Amino acid sequence: MDPFFYLVVLSGAIAGGSCGLLGVYIVGLRLPFIGIFISHTAMAGTVYSYLLGLNPILGPAAVSMVAAASLATVRPEKSRIDPNVALAILFSLMLGLTFLGIGLVQGSRSEILGLLWGSILFVRMRNFIVISIAAILFVVFAIVFNKELKVLLFSRSVGSATGVHETFVYTLFLALCGAILAVNLPLVGGLMIFSLITNPAAAAYQVCRGHRAVIVTSTLFGVVSAVGGFIVSYYLNLPTGACIVLASTLLFALAAGWRAIRGRAD
Amino acid sequence: MTAGSLTLCDVQVRRCGRTVLQVDRLAVPSGAFVGIIGANGAGKTTLLKVCAGLIRPDRGAVRFADNDLTRLSGWRKCSLRRHVGYIPQSAEYNADLPFTVREVVAMGRTGIRPLLAGLTKADYESVDHWIDRLGLAGRRNQTFRSLSGGEQQKVLIARAMTQEPRILMLDEPCASLDFHWKYQISEIVERLYDRAKMTVLMVSHDTSVLPQACRRVALLGEGRLLADGDIDEVLTPETLRLAYHGDLETPLVGGRRHIVRSSRACDGSLEFMSRPHK
Repeated sequence: MDPFFYLVVLSGAIAGGSCGLLGVYIVGLRLPFIGIFISHTAMAGTVYSYLLGLNPILGPAAVSMVAAASLATVRPEKSRIDPNVALAILFSLMLGLTFLGIGLVQGSRSEILGLLWGSILFVRMRNFIVISIAAILFVVFAIVFNKELKVLLFSRSVGSATGVHETFVYTLFLALCGAILAVNLPLVGGLMIFSLITNPAAAAYQVCRGHRAVIVTSTLFGVVSAVGGFIVSYYLNLPTGACIVLASTLLFALAAGWRAIRGRAD
Repeated sequence: MTAGSLTLCDVQVRRCGRTVLQVDRLAVPSGAFVGIIGANGAGKTTLLKVCAGLIRPDRGAVRFADNDLTRLSGWRKCSLRRHVGYIPQSAEYNADLPFTVREVVAMGRTGIRPLLAGLTKADYESVDHWIDRLGLAGRRNQTFRSLSGGEQQKVLIARAMTQEPRILMLDEPCASLDFHWKYQISEIVERLYDRAKMTVLMVSHDTSVLPQACRRVALLGEGRLLADGDIDEVLTPETLRLAYHGDLETPLVGGRRHIVRSSRACDGSLEFMSRPHK
């Protein structure tokens, strides 16, 4: 393998691992549309940063962080609309804005269209450094707020009643979520990143006992999906993003099958 | 002593342009046991959440331990809320996650430790103490999701107790449990109340599961506090008619006072609610 591919594999491992870890909370909070909404906000942010000539990494990251954090202000108990329905509507708004932005791009659109599918093969050292910093920040956040995140996963109302400042922790989580998704977007792609968030975590929830085991397993599943998908695509000359998605889906199918055979005795 | 006292004054909660809770005054002294009863949709859970500081009312004051929860900043409110042992209905917690019993019980210590600090050995000693006291020692490392509904309630009670609450709030703790578990959970709550002498608020649509120590009930109907006082004085045919829109009687059956449909209304069929009676 060409030495350049070591950077690709390492970047894939970090992207997969950080998405796998993030997925533990997205899936555990039972709001998968949050992930879809934020990833498409990141896509819209990237398109408009491109159009306005803003920094291609910081522009989208700032947009997604603000959009994601603003979700924490929505109070489901006061809303007439189900939170998932509201997120689905916001998701469609972001999708519309993204394609409108793509339509406004003058000249060749191949670079901007690449955002939809991602291009891990075109990773640069700059991307590698940024996704590594974002991953480290999220790991530190998950360690420092471990006890608060655990209780919020179990029940947000129990968390509040226990004395956790739910809004503060949740807002911080969503902002970091926006940052992770935005910086990984050029590598994994807006359409694929969501599978890298949900599938490894959903698989880990099937086979693990205890929160720590879920965190470790989901992160590992994310790494295996990204690196495994890349290696398969490299040797079989197949689209990389598609192979990563299929690898993560296969892992989930294996985990669900294993749990079905083993039964629910956990 | 006001450590576990709670007072609601002129509280109103509105949702979608409709008043879902209106309580002019409800005072719960420290160490009292109050049952909150009423038909479905009467506002019992909303009242409990207002008391726990989880819902900010649109109007009125909620005084807990001499502080008005509606006027406190986020951080100050959090530090007060950690004295509330809140046990939600099953729809409010995620029972599908593979948390172990010990992990769920340990969640009760979260608010006691400062932000950024982990749980200590002393915290885990308290966790194990309550796991043992609730008879869950053999389930310690099992996942919460693999337990029966009754065992899950015991875990949630242990979680609330590790919090060392001044006030314990239970929202339908016996809903969808069989008779064995209903009375077991009811007895556990009674024993904890007797020993810990904390304030207890217990919501239940089924009055038979209110422990015998619960001599005071607040009866809600369509979001309003219809009656509040001694259980024998509150459960009258008149108040029950207002709350349940039916002719109801409260005869003594097997040493317990049951709430049954009046013989005029149901020709003697045994559709009833009951409550323990000393």
